[in-house]
Amino acid sequence: MSGGNAIELTRVTVRRDRRVVVDDASLAIAAGSIHVLIGPNGAGKSTLLSTVLGETAFEGDVRMHFRGAGTVAYVPQSFVADRTLPITIAEFLSLSRQRWPVCFGITRASKRRVAALLEQLGMTGMERRRMGELSGGELRRVLIGNAIEPAPEVLLCDEPATGLDPAAVEQLDRLLCELRDTHGTTVLMVSHDRAQVRRVADQVTLMQVRIRQTGTADAVLDQAELA
Amino acid sequence: MSWLYDWWISLAQALGLPEAFQYPFVARGVVAILMLAPLLGGLSHLVVARRLAFFSTTLGQAALTGLVIGVATGQALDDTYTAILAFCLLVGVVMVYVRRQTTLPPDTVIGVFMAFTLGLGICLLVAATRRFNIHQIEAVMFGSVLTITDHDLVLVMVLGAALGIVVAFAYNMLLTDSLSPSVARARGAPTTAIDYGFVVIVTIAITVSLKIIGALLVEAMIVVPAAAARNLAHSTRSYLVWSIVLAAVAGLAGLFISTAWRVPTGGAIVLALSVCFFISLPIGRWLRR
Repeated sequence: MSGGNAIELTRVTVRRDRRVVVDDASLAIAAGSIHVLIGPNGAGKSTLLSTVLGETAFEGDVRMHFRGAGTVAYVPQSFVADRTLPITIAEFLSLSRQRWPVCFGITRASKRRVAALLEQLGMTGMERRRMGELSGGELRRVLIGNAIEPAPEVLLCDEPATGLDPAAVEQLDRLLCELRDTHGTTVLMVSHDRAQVRRVADQVTLMQVRIRQTGTADAVLDQAELA
Repeated sequence: MSWLYDWWISLAQALGLPEAFQYPFVARGVVAILMLAPLLGGLSHLVVARRLAFFSTTLGQAALTGLVIGVATGQALDDTYTAILAFCLLVGVVMVYVRRQTTLPPDTVIGVFMAFTLGLGICLLVAATRRFNIHQIEAVMFGSVLTITDHDLVLVMVLGAALGIVVAFAYNMLLTDSLSPSVARARGAPTTAIDYGFVVIVTIAITVSLKIIGALLVEAMIVVPAAAARNLAHSTRSYLVWSIVLAAVAGLAGLFISTAWRVPTGGAIVLALSVCFFISLPIGRWLRR
């Protein structure tokens, strides 16, 4: 793990319809670490993630410190694209991997990258499957694949394990740790899966509108279970 | 432009088409359709993907209001492009702004603007009929090949090419943003600029198409090809190809129906498009078996 913080939030408050959904949150995410946000539904975890992404208006300060090109990737909690839209997996993954318009065709370089990525995801040969035909778990794997290649500097994941079978969750954990260890990617993730949190998290933050506790996975989860 | 007309006339002769299809105004119409099909057909699949189908209806009605404003401010009745484009752009940009400021569903916001433009257009139209005969604006409302000039065709060609280049350049970002604005934003796409920019592109494309298809029917040309193509396509590439092919085929069929039976061109094109859509339904079901 390299030194310094990749993401710093200082006294961040988010209001929605006059209701405070994140209250006075200050948090420092170390560069090259996996930091997991946990807490009950409505605790403000996804809102905090979308604040870091720049999608939500807030009071306070959010800073990201990049060492390289400043690439950020995001795995959304839900993907509400029209399921009847005729777009194949290869076309979807090529959207961010080639400059040539995807509607005119997929470049050879992009085809190679997509094939390698699908192999990594355990989806070999599924290039021509339409996105709308995928199961929830398959769609989530494609979204994860889209986010992890090329390795981003910061990866934001909103409950990435939702809909995945246990084997796929373990594969996801391996991918996240590999990103951190090999590429120094900083991962900020929301998760409800305690086993996954114990397996991958370097730091865990317990939220309940306010930040209740930040520490190692064991310390925060044990405290949360006691509470 | 004469070489294009000559090309069509010689093709019509070679195909043995009736003499009516060799008239210069029909040749102009054919050339116009062949220019509009890639523009509107190409945009249509993105309009549907971004859930803006309803928005094109609003623009059609805003065009009526823009036309009346143009006439009221002293523009010639047959040269009201500037007023129509200005008013449609204003409506489009304000609508995107309001949609981004509110938590209301997009179709509700578009519905409000549709009601507003229609109400304003009707009020202004009634006031304006004191100054000119309402039947004079039929060409703009319903479209007609008879009113297409070389100037209109050059405008369609130049703007169509420019919009095509812009859309091709931004295509991957546009489609990513249509699928998931959050993913696009994380990738560094300027999602706000994309939101406004696409509405401006659609508005310009619709405005230059008005004389051929008509303000009230232009929405069909920008929605129905994509709806029909979606039943047939298996990928983004085939979606684009089918949208353009269906727009061209239905456009030419509508033009010929209009010439042969002397019905408004816009209406005939929309009927041909609708037939394409209904034919595509069972074919689509068969393809997915």
